Amino acid sequence: MASSALQAFLDKLQQLESAFEAAVEEVEDPEELESIRVTYLSRRGSLVQCLSQLKDLPDEDRPEAGKTANRIKQRLQDRFARIQEELQQKRDRARRQDFDPTLPGRSPRTGTLHPVTLVSDEICSIFRSLGYEVVLGPEVETDFYNFEALNIPQDHPARDMQDTLYLSDSIVLRTHTSPLQIRTMQEQSPPLAAVAPGKVYRRDADLTHSPMFNQIEGFLVDRRVSMADLRGTLAHFLRRIFSRDIQVRFRPSFFPFTEPSAEVDISCVICSGKGFSQDGSPCRVCKQTGFVEILGCGMIDPEVFKAVDYDPEEYSGFAFGLGVERVAMLKHGIDDLRLFFDNDLPFLDQFRFYPAT
Amino acid sequence: MYLSLNWLLEFTPYSGSVDELSHALTMLGLEVEEELEAFQSLRDFRVGRVLACRRHPNADNLTLCQVDLGGEQPADIVCGAPNVAAGLSVPVAPPGTELPSGTRVKKTKIRGQPSEGMILSEKELGLGEDESGIMILEDQASPGTPLREALGLADRIFDIGITPNRGDCLSILGIAREVAACYGLPLTMPRTELQEIPPVCTERVDVSVDDGGLCPLYQAKVAEGVSIGTSPAWLRYRLLAMGQRPINSVVDVTNYVMLETGQPLHAFDLDRLAGPAIRVARPQSEREFTTLDGHTRQLSPDDLLIWDAERPIALAGIMGGLDTEVGPGSSRLLLESAVFDPTTIRKTARRLGLSSESSYRFERGVDQIGSGLALYRAAHLIRRLTGAEVLQGVARSAPAPWQPRRIAFRPERARGLLALEATDEFCRATLQGLGCGVEPGENGDWTVTTPSHRHDLFREVDLIEEVARVYGFENTPEELPRVAKSLHGEGKIPEKADDAFQKTVRHWAKGMGLQEVMNYSFVSSADLDALNLPRDSRLELANPLTSEQDTLRPVLAPGLLLSLRLNVDRNSEDLHLFEVARAFQLDRSLETTSRETTLLGIALHGSRNPRNWPWSGETADFLDLKGIVQNLLSTLHLGPEDWVEQTEHPYLDPCAAIRIGQEHLGYAGELSAEAARGYDARHHVWLAELDLDRLQTLARSVDATYAPWSRYPPVFRDMTLVAGPDLAFEKIRRQIEAARSPLLNDFMLLDIYQPRKGDNRNITLRMVYRHPEKTLLAEEVDSEHGELGSHLLRTLPVRFP
Repeated sequence: MASSALQAFLDKLQQLESAFEAAVEEVEDPEELESIRVTYLSRRGSLVQCLSQLKDLPDEDRPEAGKTANRIKQRLQDRFARIQEELQQKRDRARRQDFDPTLPGRSPRTGTLHPVTLVSDEICSIFRSLGYEVVLGPEVETDFYNFEALNIPQDHPARDMQDTLYLSDSIVLRTHTSPLQIRTMQEQSPPLAAVAPGKVYRRDADLTHSPMFNQIEGFLVDRRVSMADLRGTLAHFLRRIFSRDIQVRFRPSFFPFTEPSAEVDISCVICSGKGFSQDGSPCRVCKQTGFVEILGCGMIDPEVFKAVDYDPEEYSGFAFGLGVERVAMLKHGIDDLRLFFDNDLPFLDQFRFYPAT
Repeated sequence: MYLSLNWLLEFTPYSGSVDELSHALTMLGLEVEEELEAFQSLRDFRVGRVLACRRHPNADNLTLCQVDLGGEQPADIVCGAPNVAAGLSVPVAPPGTELPSGTRVKKTKIRGQPSEGMILSEKELGLGEDESGIMILEDQASPGTPLREALGLADRIFDIGITPNRGDCLSILGIAREVAACYGLPLTMPRTELQEIPPVCTERVDVSVDDGGLCPLYQAKVAEGVSIGTSPAWLRYRLLAMGQRPINSVVDVTNYVMLETGQPLHAFDLDRLAGPAIRVARPQSEREFTTLDGHTRQLSPDDLLIWDAERPIALAGIMGGLDTEVGPGSSRLLLESAVFDPTTIRKTARRLGLSSESSYRFERGVDQIGSGLALYRAAHLIRRLTGAEVLQGVARSAPAPWQPRRIAFRPERARGLLALEATDEFCRATLQGLGCGVEPGENGDWTVTTPSHRHDLFREVDLIEEVARVYGFENTPEELPRVAKSLHGEGKIPEKADDAFQKTVRHWAKGMGLQEVMNYSFVSSADLDALNLPRDSRLELANPLTSEQDTLRPVLAPGLLLSLRLNVDRNSEDLHLFEVARAFQLDRSLETTSRETTLLGIALHGSRNPRNWPWSGETADFLDLKGIVQNLLSTLHLGPEDWVEQTEHPYLDPCAAIRIGQEHLGYAGELSAEAARGYDARHHVWLAELDLDRLQTLARSVDATYAPWSRYPPVFRDMTLVAGPDLAFEKIRRQIEAARSPLLNDFMLLDIYQPRKGDNRNITLRMVYRHPEKTLLAEEVDSEHGELGSHLLRTLPVRFP
């Protein structure tokens, strides 16, 4: 028969357990559960208080009281853990019910690069990978760098090829990035290879001409450079920027700063060189010819070498120039040059996709 | 330059296909830009035979015609021409066709009578000026024959882009020469045989030239008894096919021969010349001259004129004078064929804004030897077409006879530069085929003499290009050269932001959620005025295309704001834009007079975040802009920077200058309300511009070194200070730093609260205490925090709440 003290202790434990059970029965949220834990199970909670009375019991009662107390403590703790787990599951279930994977995502603000930047970077990086350096120069130029040193004398019909915007008689907005040939050759000695991207200006504005556009000039000077080097370099570049199976055509042309000079055509990337669209209508981009003009180039004219004190008997080299917008138009099917400088958001937004170069 | 294939075939017997010829010309450097059908507008018209005519029952001047068009039933056509009659062959426009004027021909009823088409006059066909009646076809082609065929008009026209160096190809003969050389075909020269009568031309006119440098050769022939009228159809049609308007038989011949040979010719009415004498000379002083288009032009002493014994009669090489123009009443002609200095012609033509077919050719150089051929060719045709008698010989002055150039040429050099297997034999045949003389010399050094029509062959490399053209650029092999690098100049530090740095900044900006724009470098001076930008340092264009683009922008704002306005006007108002570009300011100490600075411009307008659910609705403000700028500086390992309020900025208000030490980096602020209205802004416009050249210079000197950090836990303590409205946050920051608390690891601004009453602000800061080598005790932190608090109270006009 248990002593009355023991009985009282056990009753107390019993009551505590019943009260705990009643409390957890109703529990709804984690805060409530936490307060139950504090009330019953924490270091200052009622269970600990109750157990602290164990030491007041007569010695002979203690083993049984201790055993019972431990059992109840274990039960309460298990029960608490279970309730906690259930509550968690309930909350998880509720969260899952709210989950709608089809809601629109929170949009981070997305930056975009201008298509001219993208294409220009891509072109420059191809040439960088071939060992060319990228050089920049002034956009306001002297007549000497823009024309004279490039073998385009005053009052020569070749000046008609580029309608020029003047600041004064001898200062112009550069009409091409070719002055960088002169500036670079003046600063360095051969062998050298560089590309010069940048804005250029012409006094010309209509559907296919903009008073400002972007050009990339490239040039290489060394001993024994030949037309084969020029052609190989450009064919390699054009296949990389457009596609492997593009056809590249060289035909004679005229630029005052190259001799021989050539224009380079590629098979039309819009109609794949067929001359006709898929619906059978004539291709508007190549005007049925199957080819589109993409750049001008040639072997650097001896007069240009003379302007920078290179010996044309010792050195030869090639130069080329291409319009960045033109490449962008062909690459991305952009049909209106003015779009590049309107900066209309719906236009700019379309160039998020672009892979980094 | 138009090329008529029919005409070309008169000079060289090319027998391949049209497509092949087109390709061959393009591959020779004569780019066929477009292929056209001659008289395309007459495509649908047919030959009709008028079978019967009767009066229109309801109109006296109309005739009802039955016209055989080759179909089963003749067509009923109502015709208003007086000369229509049964039995005639006439041009007919069937229903559904369009006249050159644009009028559509329909099946219709005219005064109650059906009419299925239209019988056409020469004028309606665009073939002549005759509109007195319908055109009557002399050739009895069978009814239904396409009109172009019946009139011999079927021809293919190539529109060829002639590069400025190839003046010799501005003629049918010149292109024929290329085709003949390319295919190894013979070249037939135009017919020039001429029966001449005495006396010799020099009896009638005396020719003198003042300066052989300006006019190396002047030749003239005299024709008498000319009866000027309309040119025969073949001549008119050929001019029309080439895009020229027929005028009268003499003028038409001069134009015809110019197109044929490339030599511009001019016919004077000899009876109107004083003297008669011809002198080629510059005017002594400025004077006026009326050209045959009726315009009076102001001449300068640099122009070149043709004079008679008393006065100027033509602007040499550009246009004749009104007073001596050939007209229907002229009976004696002086026919001029001369060579003028290209530069002189070009300067005058440009200064007067008067470019003609003639000046275009003289500017590019004409064939001095061929000029005599052209003169005889024209005399031959004028005699044939006008019944004129041509006097013997030529009145001429030749102060500078043509000299062939002698050029050294090494076939080995050509092979090396071209990487082509062009044999010596091929080189010789090519150069000779193009009209050069070739004398092989010792050691493979040849001497090549150039023909008189080629003004672009001066140097060996010019001849090398000729070899390449004919060999075919297409045969050039492809090689990828190894780029050998010079070490000269390596490690040189550029003054301007280089491409790599700009790329870094652009990619950073993209990552910031900014969108790149690209604006024109020029804006209107009014745009700059609107932003109160100073006038004296502007760079203005001397010949702007429009007043909208007459000044180079000295800052990026004008362009960014144009992008802003365009988008707001098109209902895109949330803008986070950036631009990297050069800005330009006048600096006379520089070679180019332009100081160019690479700037980064940023513009914010409208919602801070994309307007997608869930959207806070907040608009971007100064702190957004500042945060972006600070992010750039920290990305470049730069800072700390100072933000100093500016009250004098031309278009930003409020505005802060951004500096690192003594280096001024740029400005950030709000576009002034006045300026913002001009750009249709709907929200505050936040602008920043930073000098990238300077940023790169600063960024280059930064060493990014790793710093160890404390692994022990931080302790946070908050502190609220009550401060007046004028206390800049920077002052608090400085004092916190000045306190040099050894345990203070970091601090942050937690909140700024503005109570309803009063101007004061409650500024709450969170201090972060941390020891590098141990866990801090609460007491240590409390004491440190307390000391920091007293330091702030002592040094700043603040109190605790």
